Amino acid sequence: MTPAKPPVVRDKDEDLVYAPAILILSHDLYPRKLEVIREYIQNSSDALEAYAAISDVIEDSAEPQIKVSVQGRSVLIYDNGIGMDKEEVAKLRRIAYSEKKAGREAGYKGIGRLAGIAVADKLKMSSTSYGDSKLHHFEFRAKEMREEISENKRKGITESATEVIRRHTDLWSDDIDPKDHYTIVEIRDINESCSQLLDVEALREYIGDVGPVDFAPSFKWGQKVSEKLRQNIPDYSPKTVYISTRSGERIRVYKPYTDQMVIAEPDFKEVTDPANPNHVLAFCWFATKGQKILDKVRPSGKIFTVEGEEPREKKRFAGLVYKLFGFSIGDRTLPMRTLWAKSLTRAHWFTGEIHIVDKDVFPTTDRSDFIESNARKRLYDGAETIAVKLNRLAQEISDNRKAYNDSEKLKQRFQDVRQKLQNGQIERAALKVIKQELERGLDGLRQRADKCTDEEIEQFDREVLKYGRKLSEELDHAKVSSGEKNGIADVASELHMTAKAKKVFQIVMDTLSGHFSDDPDQYHEVNGKITRSLKRKY
Amino acid sequence: MGTPREAVFQSNQNKDFLRSAYDAGHVKGWFGRAGRPLKYLGLPAWEMLDIIAWEPFLSRFTTIEREENQQHLMFLQANVQDVEHRLYSLYGEFDSILLSGRDAYGYGPDWPYDLINLDYFGGFIYSNLTRPKAIRKLISNQAAYSQGFLLIITQHLRDCDTIGAKATFLDDLRRSLKNVSTDPTVHVSIDTVLNWYSDSATPDSFRQALYMNVFLRDVGEVEHFDVKCRPAVLYAGTGNSSMIHFVTEFVFRPGLGHKPASNQSLIDIVNFSLLELCDGSFAPPIQHPIIPKPI
Repeated sequence: MTPAKPPVVRDKDEDLVYAPAILILSHDLYPRKLEVIREYIQNSSDALEAYAAISDVIEDSAEPQIKVSVQGRSVLIYDNGIGMDKEEVAKLRRIAYSEKKAGREAGYKGIGRLAGIAVADKLKMSSTSYGDSKLHHFEFRAKEMREEISENKRKGITESATEVIRRHTDLWSDDIDPKDHYTIVEIRDINESCSQLLDVEALREYIGDVGPVDFAPSFKWGQKVSEKLRQNIPDYSPKTVYISTRSGERIRVYKPYTDQMVIAEPDFKEVTDPANPNHVLAFCWFATKGQKILDKVRPSGKIFTVEGEEPREKKRFAGLVYKLFGFSIGDRTLPMRTLWAKSLTRAHWFTGEIHIVDKDVFPTTDRSDFIESNARKRLYDGAETIAVKLNRLAQEISDNRKAYNDSEKLKQRFQDVRQKLQNGQIERAALKVIKQELERGLDGLRQRADKCTDEEIEQFDREVLKYGRKLSEELDHAKVSSGEKNGIADVASELHMTAKAKKVFQIVMDTLSGHFSDDPDQYHEVNGKITRSLKRKY
Repeated sequence: MGTPREAVFQSNQNKDFLRSAYDAGHVKGWFGRAGRPLKYLGLPAWEMLDIIAWEPFLSRFTTIEREENQQHLMFLQANVQDVEHRLYSLYGEFDSILLSGRDAYGYGPDWPYDLINLDYFGGFIYSNLTRPKAIRKLISNQAAYSQGFLLIITQHLRDCDTIGAKATFLDDLRRSLKNVSTDPTVHVSIDTVLNWYSDSATPDSFRQALYMNVFLRDVGEVEHFDVKCRPAVLYAGTGNSSMIHFVTEFVFRPGLGHKPASNQSLIDIVNFSLLELCDGSFAPPIQHPIIPKPI
């Protein structure tokens, strides 16, 4: 007999989430504290998008913008987007509640709005939306709440999360001009351990790297890449973000790429569904570190490094990064882990972004990856073509760079030999060695030139080859110095040979001369070696 | 941005006139003398009405705010007015920040300033003398940087605050004035005027006006400033509370080993009439007996 299943008892009023869950959510979601800022920039970005949809109708010409500033131990994020009405502000109390549509807006999980409580003692927000005559305020006293939850845990009391949140939050409203529309978030009394959030320079670089901002106008390739992204990514819409410095300046935040980094010309790659080549999943731009070769900045074939003290810091922009609605998903190791099957060395040669176009791909809550799904698999499978392309490109860059380096070295050597030849400084004894060296160099150069895909470098190789061949001919007909100073009599005299030794030396050299009569260069080479060897020993 | 209920310092017609006409004229004049935008320190309340009114003449502004929600609104206002990058806001009591040099978070004023506007609750003298000490410290800090400045002070006219202090003060002032001249007729008029000031029938606003101006002059001179005071302005503030307003110029005189004497004489200050604002414009000045200037 099968025992009957015990009846399931459900109490309608039963609390299903308890206060300590808030601590877990707020503490463990943001191992890197700067990520808290991303959450608010994300909300601001969505608010600007939402307002843009109606701004034409109400003829508002104000520049849509997000402004970040630091005051005391507060960091402030302001936007003049659509703002929130009373109901929306009241919903801030609801953990993980969101009406944003997945795949349509940057944020959608309703957790990021309270991210500030993970790093600060208080979170304050004020917001009003166009047409609303009230400014709505929300305050979350996080420290108070954390202390109470911890105290209750010690006492063995576990309360409903709802009750605790109600007790430590406040909502109120003031009268305001109904034309106003904005939201300000103040993350107040930031904890000592999270002081990085108060470092304006760290914020600027972080927002530039992970936020939905444009390329700096001063960056040589910025406009080209930006135009391509606009053409290929339907929702590509960089936002204007300003940050205030402690010295009273307002700086616009841009992506971190600058001309000082010496970046070679970027290239692009469309990622399509392997099963349906018409379905675009993502669009990627990439570039490598540049090096001036033949009066032009060309890919250098080196790890993409920038200014910094530690090696890790220098490599902070090496690799590609996934972008969704302009925001980074994961760091630059995520594409390496998901797209490169083996050696990652060459993945570090590149910097760039993979903008996701497919609306079925969603980020995880902590934005460190995408949620496992068929869409993600499709994306990762399709994007492997990026790794294939970049690996192949890296090989080309390597071949081209070596072709150039070898040619450049040979060119200098040839010029050196020619100079000596013209000055009569090449001795008969060294001629053969030089000729052999020249031939070896020309052989190597021919092989490199065959692999070279850069037309200008190839042309340069050809010129060096031509130069080398001409030099080789010149050497064949060269009037080289006889090396009289190293004649048998001179050497015997210099080494104070006895008459008998001098005679033996003469016999040996005459024998060799007879032996190499068909190849005088070979004789002079052996002669030179013997002479040098004798001089060294005696 | 409208007017959230949070507002404590609500503006009114008189205050608006002072800020946008009377003070603005002095600020503009000081800006012209400095030949550059002025660095501001003040207690502007969240609306920052003075900063917004004088913004073309200002570079950066340091504000002191003691109430958290007010400071939050100030951050909002700065963003809405597009001046957030020029704002440096300290949190705490103005007196204690000036005396300790640090706010609640350990940040301090960015000395020196060109324009200091202290519009505060309460009168000037309390039993612990914190406020005079704070003002003294402020002037001393400016002197440490040899920096002249324009000081605007607005405070409540509180009769109970200064009765004892003012009695002693008038005695001291009488002695100082008599030391200026040996002319017995001048001494008679000094007694006449100071007796008028001491008379309980004389409104306390006159005593407070005189006390404050002489205090600022004394402290300024000790710190090597040539001090130029102006007649105080009396007006009804929010909730009909009596307010008194001072504008004083401090010009630093470098290279002096001794206390400089201001170009403006003490008698000039004693003879000041009291200006009064009614419904946003000046009423005819209230003039009291004056001391003739010694020849």
